[in-house]
Amino acid sequence: MAEETFLEDDFLRQLMSVGEVDLLVGIPSYNNAATMGQTVETIEESFQQNFVRDRVVILNVDGGSSDDTRNVLLQRNERRNGGHRGLTSLRTVHRVSWTYGSAPSSGLAVRTILAAADLLRAKSCAIISPTAGNLTPSWVANLLRPIYRERFDYLAPLYARNKFQGLLARNLLYPMSRAVFGYRIRELYSDEWGFSGRLASQCLDQDVWHEEAVQTRPEAWMGVTAISAELNCCQYFLGQKAAPGSGAGTDIVEAIRQAVGSLFWCLEKYESQWLNRAGSQTVPTFGPDHELCEESPPTNPEKFFAMFRSGVNELEPLLASILTRDTHAQVKAIALLDADKFRFANELWVRTLYEFAGSYHHEVLNRDHLVQSVVPLYRGLLYSFLMQHANSSADEMEADAEQLGLEFERQKPYLVERWKGEKLR
Amino acid sequence: MKDVIIQGLQQAYQNLVHMLAEFLPRLLVMLVIVFVGLLVAYVLKTVLRALLHVTRLDRLSEEAGASRFLRMAALPSMTELLSRSLFWVTWSGFILIGISVLGVAGLQEQIARLFLLLPAIFVAILILFVGLVTANFLSRAALLAAVNAGYPSPKIVSWSIRFVIWALAIAMALEVVGVARQTVIAAFSIIFGAFMLGLAIAFGFGGQDLAREFLERNLKEKKREKREEPLPL
Repeated sequence: MAEETFLEDDFLRQLMSVGEVDLLVGIPSYNNAATMGQTVETIEESFQQNFVRDRVVILNVDGGSSDDTRNVLLQRNERRNGGHRGLTSLRTVHRVSWTYGSAPSSGLAVRTILAAADLLRAKSCAIISPTAGNLTPSWVANLLRPIYRERFDYLAPLYARNKFQGLLARNLLYPMSRAVFGYRIRELYSDEWGFSGRLASQCLDQDVWHEEAVQTRPEAWMGVTAISAELNCCQYFLGQKAAPGSGAGTDIVEAIRQAVGSLFWCLEKYESQWLNRAGSQTVPTFGPDHELCEESPPTNPEKFFAMFRSGVNELEPLLASILTRDTHAQVKAIALLDADKFRFANELWVRTLYEFAGSYHHEVLNRDHLVQSVVPLYRGLLYSFLMQHANSSADEMEADAEQLGLEFERQKPYLVERWKGEKLR
Repeated sequence: MKDVIIQGLQQAYQNLVHMLAEFLPRLLVMLVIVFVGLLVAYVLKTVLRALLHVTRLDRLSEEAGASRFLRMAALPSMTELLSRSLFWVTWSGFILIGISVLGVAGLQEQIARLFLLLPAIFVAILILFVGLVTANFLSRAALLAAVNAGYPSPKIVSWSIRFVIWALAIAMALEVVGVARQTVIAAFSIIFGAFMLGLAIAFGFGGQDLAREFLERNLKEKKREKREEPLPL
């Protein structure tokens, strides 16, 4: 077992009393007493419907909740009414709960789950957020089954999304990670994902757990680790993604700090794997690979343009040290346009991001500050996107997203050039 | 009369010879000390420069924005600045020791006082450097936070933080060196107090409307604004 000394004795005793398992579902929690009961019931229902003969465990790792989260999990009555076929699990569904610290940490929670999965020799594991409002038994089964039955190592979810939600993922995280790492995985940054025991062991062996990027977005790092190791990856369409009530997913600045910081860090960590890779390939996908639901555009998008313009103006010295003179001049030029004529062209957006990535690599300034400097530019792109697609159909938006992905791939040699070249001056 | 003059000249000559006989070895010792000091200072400079290269101080300085200020002031890189400072501080110390060996009356006390100041000057330089780096880092962090939160006049926030940290660092450095200690403390207290009082008055009285608008926007409308932004992930 990797990291033998990492788990505390009491926790080890609990895990040993469970014995080896086939399937493990991890639930990181922090003050989720309100939703934990429903989450556990849904997972157990999924086990009873889909994995009757398999050895299973539900593992809750808690970040020091002050409410009743752990008790809700441990004391919730096990469902014995079976699924729609009248089946019930032939084995005990074990529940284990452990407090890993006095403050929540995604990285530490995932590390604890991986270490437990490694110790219990779980073949297929899934991590599920207790805040997932529309969790169904089929979600749980779909996260576990491809890894368990079809020997995949990493499973990313796919969601039906509202047209104007998840725009950072659609305009930056997905197309850039696709172009850089060469795999078309849409949701590297999500609250639910699945992985094999093999991937868990590989991740545990890496000495990266102290890194900020792994602490904040461990799921993205696990996905990129699987891609870089050329393990078997797939995607599974789960259904409509629920809007989170709070947290990093709701705030643009925090989301960019975490997600873009994590992506740039992964570029640094796995540079030997992507520098010579060109183009991108699809991964096996179960169900549709995208689905957009109708939604009215946000009100008052002009505010994003005003914040973009103000940011470009106020952060001029910072942007000058990050971007090339030509790119910086173009960004300043579009900031001077009237709001109704403003467009952030794909070509400029991609070049700007690649120069940010290059400057991150060369550490032209503090890396967290550099990533935060992306925020005003993203707001500019957001405004441009909202103006362009206010009345677009789902198909038109998807076609545009594909064009952006191809633009990222087309300009990848420029990223390599910036990455390998001297720092900008 | 003639004998007295000859005797006087002989006495003067003997005194001169005696003085030279006493002074020349001391001068030689001083030159040796200065030369050894030069070698020691050079070695220390080389070692420090190598150490700072290993610890990547220049990159740190670049990240914190301190290098930009050094370039603006036509100063060399941070590594070079610190290693050269060490060279001159060390060599100056040896020169002062050498001069004290000469035994020139009156100079001893002054040299001793100057010699005692050298470590304090070095500490003061360090304080100023740390102040410069901290001021640049925190002011940039404040600028980014203010810009990304959409606050008005983010540069004023940024420059205020820079000014306060600089003022603090300069006051601390002057106090360490012992230059007009009471005056420095009084001046710093007055400037800092006046600055804060000015801000409080400006915000509370002069900018009542702005203050109200600011608080309302932050306390009441923040949630609504957040909802207007599409979910990024």
